Amino acid sequence: MTSPLPTLISRLLPATAAVAATLSLSACGSSMPPSGDPAAFGWLKPAPAPRSWHWSDLPGGDARMAYPPSWRPIISDPGTASAALRDADGEIVGYLNVTPQQGQETLANWSSFRPDHNRDEGDVDLRPIAAATDLPFRSGHGSCLIEDYRTSSDHAYREIACLVDGARATTVIVGAAPPDEWDRAGSVIERTISSFLT
Amino acid sequence: MISTVKIRIAAILAVLGIVAGAAVPAAIARHHHHHHSGIPQNNGGDHDADNNGGPSDGDGLV
Repeated sequence: MTSPLPTLISRLLPATAAVAATLSLSACGSSMPPSGDPAAFGWLKPAPAPRSWHWSDLPGGDARMAYPPSWRPIISDPGTASAALRDADGEIVGYLNVTPQQGQETLANWSSFRPDHNRDEGDVDLRPIAAATDLPFRSGHGSCLIEDYRTSSDHAYREIACLVDGARATTVIVGAAPPDEWDRAGSVIERTISSFLT
Repeated sequence: MISTVKIRIAAILAVLGIVAGAAVPAAIARHHHHHHSGIPQNNGGDHDADNNGGPSDGDGLV
């Protein structure tokens, strides 16, 4: 009689390995970053912003972000710039931010760094949608990610986050809006990113 | 014979459980960045949007 042990082990090993892999992915808290998808960034056409738009500059002139007159500058971390569009209740329905590169983010790791950062900030239900590298900007090239998440206050946002290696500096630009506001705010965010200078 | 088989299976599962358990902290640890510099956030939150449940900014820090 053949011992059942080898057969049993051969059946258990793949299942246990699958469980271990699932546990590892669950610990990450989200799906894997998307692979390269430049077609999702076909809207990125480097060009100046409309003349009627306002500007926010980073200290030292390392970056310049444009936004429509209906958007307003909002409080931001020192050394950064943010603008937002709020609804009648004060909720943010459009958000733009520009921040100097300061951590371990690189053009190569951006599609994994950014979700990790958002998770560290307490965001949940992160769903990377698309990512690409070597995208064209007015003053250089960059890596971008489109991602959905919910903040710690249970607000849902979709964001486009880009790390741009420009002529003067390497800078992060982020645009976000609730998914149900994307039809209204998304085109502004895309235009802002397309006109971004750093 | 049966009890011996059960003991061996238990031992194998215990070892595999340790391996799987070890993978979890390693995956979690991956998310703890060690930033060498950063933009000051004043109150760890300086009342800006991202520190108060608004959209995340690009600060690379929590």
